[in-house]
Amino acid sequence: MRRLLEIKGVFVHSIRGNRLNDINLSISSGERVALVGSNGSGKSSLLAVANGTLLPDLGKVIWKDYSTSNLGQRQRKEIGTLWQDLRLVEELNVAQNINCGALANRNLLWSLANLLKPIELNACSECLQKVGLSTSILSAMVSELSGGQRQRVAIARLLRQKPELILADEPLFSLDPILAEEILHLFLDNTMTSDMGEERTLLMSLHQPSFFRHFDRVIALKSGRVVFDQPSECLDDEALALIYGSA
Amino acid sequence: MPSRPDRALVLTALICFFGLQSCTNQTKQTLRIGAIPDQNPERLNRLYGLLSTELSKELNVPVRYKAVTNYPAAVSAFRTDSLDLVWFGGLTGVQARLQKPGAEVIAQRDIDAKFTSVFIANTKSGIKPLKNKSELQQLNGKRFTFGSESSTSGRLMPQHFLQQAGVQMNDFSGGKPGFSGSHDATIALVQSGSFDAGALNESVWKSARKNGRIDPAKVKVIWRTPPYADYHWLAQPNLDKKFGDGFTEKLKYTLTGLKKSSKSQAKILELFGASSFVDADQNQYITIETIGRQLGKIQ
Amino acid sequence: MSRLSPTPPILSLLPALALLPVLISILISFHNGGATLLWEFICAAVHPSIQAEVVQSAFRGIQITFSTALLSWSLSSIFGICLGIASARVVWETFLGKSWPATVIRRLLAIPRSIHELLWGLLLLQMVGLSPWVAIVAIVIPYTSLVARVVSDQLDTKDRRALKGLKQAGAGSSSALITALGPAMGPVLLSYVGYRLECALRGATVLGVFGLGGIGTDLQLALQSLQFHDVWTALWLLAAVMFSLEQILSLIRGYFKLSKNGIWQITTILIVLLILCALSIPWLNAVDIDLGEPLHWSPLPLPTFYELIDAIHTLPWIQLISSTMLLTVLAAGIAIGTPPLAMMLWPSQLGIAIQRIIWGLLRLMPTPLTALFLMLFSKPSLAVAALALGAHNIGVMGRLLKEGLDQQSDNHLKALSAAGAGTRSAWLYGCFSGQSRSYLAYAAYRTDVILRETVVVGMVGGTGLGWQLIESLGSFNWAQVIVLIAVFTALTLIGEAITDRLRYHWTGSTKKLPMVVDLQS
Repeated sequence: MRRLLEIKGVFVHSIRGNRLNDINLSISSGERVALVGSNGSGKSSLLAVANGTLLPDLGKVIWKDYSTSNLGQRQRKEIGTLWQDLRLVEELNVAQNINCGALANRNLLWSLANLLKPIELNACSECLQKVGLSTSILSAMVSELSGGQRQRVAIARLLRQKPELILADEPLFSLDPILAEEILHLFLDNTMTSDMGEERTLLMSLHQPSFFRHFDRVIALKSGRVVFDQPSECLDDEALALIYGSA
Repeated sequence: MPSRPDRALVLTALICFFGLQSCTNQTKQTLRIGAIPDQNPERLNRLYGLLSTELSKELNVPVRYKAVTNYPAAVSAFRTDSLDLVWFGGLTGVQARLQKPGAEVIAQRDIDAKFTSVFIANTKSGIKPLKNKSELQQLNGKRFTFGSESSTSGRLMPQHFLQQAGVQMNDFSGGKPGFSGSHDATIALVQSGSFDAGALNESVWKSARKNGRIDPAKVKVIWRTPPYADYHWLAQPNLDKKFGDGFTEKLKYTLTGLKKSSKSQAKILELFGASSFVDADQNQYITIETIGRQLGKIQ
Repeated sequence: MSRLSPTPPILSLLPALALLPVLISILISFHNGGATLLWEFICAAVHPSIQAEVVQSAFRGIQITFSTALLSWSLSSIFGICLGIASARVVWETFLGKSWPATVIRRLLAIPRSIHELLWGLLLLQMVGLSPWVAIVAIVIPYTSLVARVVSDQLDTKDRRALKGLKQAGAGSSSALITALGPAMGPVLLSYVGYRLECALRGATVLGVFGLGGIGTDLQLALQSLQFHDVWTALWLLAAVMFSLEQILSLIRGYFKLSKNGIWQITTILIVLLILCALSIPWLNAVDIDLGEPLHWSPLPLPTFYELIDAIHTLPWIQLISSTMLLTVLAAGIAIGTPPLAMMLWPSQLGIAIQRIIWGLLRLMPTPLTALFLMLFSKPSLAVAALALGAHNIGVMGRLLKEGLDQQSDNHLKALSAAGAGTRSAWLYGCFSGQSRSYLAYAAYRTDVILRETVVVGMVGGTGLGWQLIESLGSFNWAQVIVLIAVFTALTLIGEAITDRLRYHWTGSTKKLPMVVDLQS
């Protein structure tokens, strides 16, 4: 298996101590990794470091052969992120939001045309169907959708991007258990295979221990440090206590 | 003990009081003179500064120059008694006199009785010097600019001669003439090529040529108009009442008495572009009034 | 789904298409002769005249302009706040239980607002002659009504539950009103009233351009006689004053944001207004502007009914109104579309910094001067007038957009550029989209302002109602003047009604509107 993402000796400072403290890990293609840890343990920072939106104060993050501090458009396109706050563009409709995922391969005129009238609707419908939404909402404004629908639109946008690595920041947060399970399955079943049939790589932060079995590997953070990094089968109650227990 | 807002209020009241008081200490009658703004401001300020000093010395009243920056404003200022003595152009003078019955034409420059305008053209425009008035027809379809819209030498008379030659205002390129705003601007705009041709006061043209602001390769005179009466001093009817009997006469005498032999007076005359001021009469402006009415500038 | 469904961001950009016809028509008539003048003008920027006379005159001019602005601003703010309270429905309802008097006052106040301060100035000049009060009152009249509108709108949109509670608990009407609505009004007043001072300064400058004294007069006369070095002396001085004022006001706003006591804020504002009002009078006296001089009241001769009918028949209405509308549309298009277009094409930090400087210069330059300046290189035309009017408003819209973007988080921008979007697309989707609704709402309002301002350039471009009005004033044809003002007022009122709807349309569906948009009306 090829190494996709490599994080070497990364520190991120903040006023209240280090948000990330000497993180070393690598993620290979096709892996499905769960990222766990209590609130404030550094999960979001780690994901942000991985997609290049947060630059480490010390250490290196390597995506394939490039440092994330200067990724080109092509490399950035290969890393897809599902943000915790989704970051949908509220002023636009569903199709236009999904098309945001394709901006990397298109020029400015295309993006202007999309604002005038949603384009490439077939591709959008395809993505929408994969996340279990009816194509009738293509022209709905995203601000009018329910929370679960918004989540799915955000995933559809991710699919439109066709990334190799998916970083998902607590996508199941604030969903009821049934919906959470549904979204997770949607994720694992419908989004992890590319059009060419290749397996995508996943790094997802989440809190529900019952879901860990769906992942190959679990990485746990505590106060910015990696305290656990093993196949998901090895995660027992003791380890959980260590991760979520008080320092 | 007063609280903080109270003290602030008292302070405010005091400041307001002094503020208002400071604007109510004014007593002596001042002769307020003004002029239509037909030249650049520096020159106007210098000119009327000198003239104010001279008049004040001769007439023994305080004299103050109040700058006005557009033609109608000068007329209104005269109508509303804001100015006692104004240097008007032909048209503005007639407008002011009609709106203020009894106003008196006091004097004009030696050159004003036979004043002329010049038509100028950009050398690239293909307009040739005219042999006679009817050749103004050449201007049909050209970009043409007047100066200020209420100017006699920069608009009224040129427009009159154009119409005599059969050129209507909507014959120009763009369906109407431009208004550059001043004689200086007309020169600049024709010289730059913004307009193919324009019309302006000949004395401004001459002084611009003397100061080297004209590039003969770019702009040339194509025609000089027949003479007409233009600028003059107009005084309020109530000056005798305000400053004492015979004041208007004295004013007239002082102005026409400015001589080149006195150093300070010579400077004033030079800035006015004249060798002396002479008596003037309102009858000289009947033609202008008629033309003004024809062109709708006088109601 | 083949129907066009333009979104707010593209709707804000599309008006930039107005640049095409305008620039093409200006470029066609651009000529070589103009290039020399343009070059001279640019060179003069680094060599402003430092002759004592010029500097003194400009220095005196800026003092007159600034103190005029200060006095008219403080007066209009005080009157505006009072009238605003008097035209708030909530006030009448609390005292009398009915709101119709508020509606009546509101309607009446729309009229002074619909006439540009320049027109008030020219009209007052006809009636009272040359007096420093002309410029002051000309600004006070429309500004009072603008402030009153914002104050009453703000009062009426505040939550009334607290007020009802207090009334039920037996509080008197006035004390209930002050306690329930006062605190929330503090920051609103502060922000808006401060902004009005900048407007007053610009207004006083424009009045100067039309001969009512101050730095505008110096600028106009210097530009007209092509003394570019003198022009720049005045421009730099004006720039320094405007820039410091903008900075000071934003500092004050920042400082007051920390304090939560609205009543204290209002008291402070009122006291500051009174003090500045009182200080500006001796200041004007100090620069030899005599406010104590008696006014020479001479009412205009009222035209007869037949003269009015005659005026209606003689003027080419269709042509006048259509060219005014075209001028408004083109200028508004340029003003609305250009700032986002420029930012989209050049979103780097350097680009934004340069754009800020350019917007600043455009705000600085009074519109009629821009027009006059453009005419040095181009034929006078509607396009020149539209570009001049648009350019000034680009400055205003650009600043507003920048402020809005600065207040917004860059989360979306980061998300899109992390997903590989190019800088321009990312800016468009991730940055501008979030602001586009409020930007459009403000643009609708700005279109109103532009319609009013057509008077100012109409004269230079030789187009529209504005030009005809100046021409009629110059011929002292009062019948025409009255009819023209009536038509212009009607046009502005109709325009206001339309843009109010648009504004509601753009803001109605967003829950919270950035304050700046709400206030800068």
